[in-house]
Amino acid sequence: MHCEMILDEYREKLPVFKKLKEVVMDSVRNCLNENNILVSGLDSRIKSEKSLTGKLELKGYKYRTLSDITDILGVRIITFFSDEVDIISALAEQLFEIDWENSVDKRKMLEIDRFGYMSLHYICRVPQSLFYDPAMPELNQTRFELQMRSTLQHVWANMYHDMGYKSDVEIPVEYQRNMSRLAGMLELADEQFSHIRKEINTYRRKVQSLVASGNFDEVPLNGDTFRSFVALHPFKRLTDKIAAINQAEIYEDSLMPYYNVLRNLNMKTIGDIVRMRNEYSEYAFQLALIQLAGTGLDILANSVALQNLCIVYILKQGFGEAGLLRLFNALYGENDYNKDRAKRIYGQAKQINII
Amino acid sequence: MDIKITQQENKTIVVLNGRIDTSNADQFQQDMTPLMEGENPDIEIDCTDMSYTSSQGLRIFLMLQKSVMARGGKMVMRNMNPQVKEVFDITGFSNIITIL
Repeated sequence: MHCEMILDEYREKLPVFKKLKEVVMDSVRNCLNENNILVSGLDSRIKSEKSLTGKLELKGYKYRTLSDITDILGVRIITFFSDEVDIISALAEQLFEIDWENSVDKRKMLEIDRFGYMSLHYICRVPQSLFYDPAMPELNQTRFELQMRSTLQHVWANMYHDMGYKSDVEIPVEYQRNMSRLAGMLELADEQFSHIRKEINTYRRKVQSLVASGNFDEVPLNGDTFRSFVALHPFKRLTDKIAAINQAEIYEDSLMPYYNVLRNLNMKTIGDIVRMRNEYSEYAFQLALIQLAGTGLDILANSVALQNLCIVYILKQGFGEAGLLRLFNALYGENDYNKDRAKRIYGQAKQINII
Repeated sequence: MDIKITQQENKTIVVLNGRIDTSNADQFQQDMTPLMEGENPDIEIDCTDMSYTSSQGLRIFLMLQKSVMARGGKMVMRNMNPQVKEVFDITGFSNIITIL
């Protein structure tokens, strides 16, 4: 009988839960955007009447009224890394009122020799400072559950749930050991991913300061160092000089496609690129001059400078027309145009004594 | 400049004929503007009979490419003659636009 009353209350309060879901999801999305946090997943659900009926049949004795059930609205945030769960929870604490008595950190509930469900569950309310509608004041009194877990924690929980279990005590004892081993492996992987990411971030900061210091011969050429180097606009002077031929506007485009080209040209350090720039800028300009003068073309991509430097470098290394063809094939994929272009540029290079 | 625009499955085919230069760049831009909106962003530009493009043409292709990419689509230009291709090469636009 009292379960029927709870179900009646549920039906009556459904519009409140729908509005609450909207408010919570909007607030969480805005908060993540404002803090530049990318998450692997964000979803929500309102418990269906069928599911609530099932819950009441099993554990109805625990609840006096609907407000005793705190997961009618459930929101889940899935982070990429396990250490981001703490960042998200700190933001949730700023955003919502947390019912600490009923919130659980399942990550800390496991014994030291146990592995299993790891997730942080907060029971929350929306404070009036975040949202208040005088026509629906009960919204601020209604609790909801916010689950926060990493992608791998989510994988484990999903697999477990998919096998028909809700907690590890339910699983037959003969399978518990294997499930624990699997949970332990995922926990370790989670920890390693976070660790590797921290190390990569430290490496990137180190590389940025090394590049900024100008000791280019000490900086190995890789994707990170090239990106940091390009951010210093190392070809700007040459680009501006080329643009001045026709008073052209410069369109900024990514120079990252040239990373593999430079690797294929056997450049090992950022210092090698700097040497190429210092030695061949004049030739690269002369090549642009012969191509652009008199055309009236007054828009250029910023890649022209590096493109011409690579062309001059290839020719100076004696790779000839075949080397140019390899360059264009690497940049644009193999196509019929590249051969004509290699031949044309080879001719222009001869005209201005690059070769 | 003669422009023919047709829809083929989920993409727009644009066939260009003639020159794009100062005399017709405004008209070309007006003709391309409807392609910068809409749900099916994929565009294929057939340049077989396009004889030249000026900087104004390049700017319009760039605008078109940006709008296509912003809508998650792809723009390709096909069958350029060597003179037109050279314009794209020497301005670095071959790096920006997919030319097949």
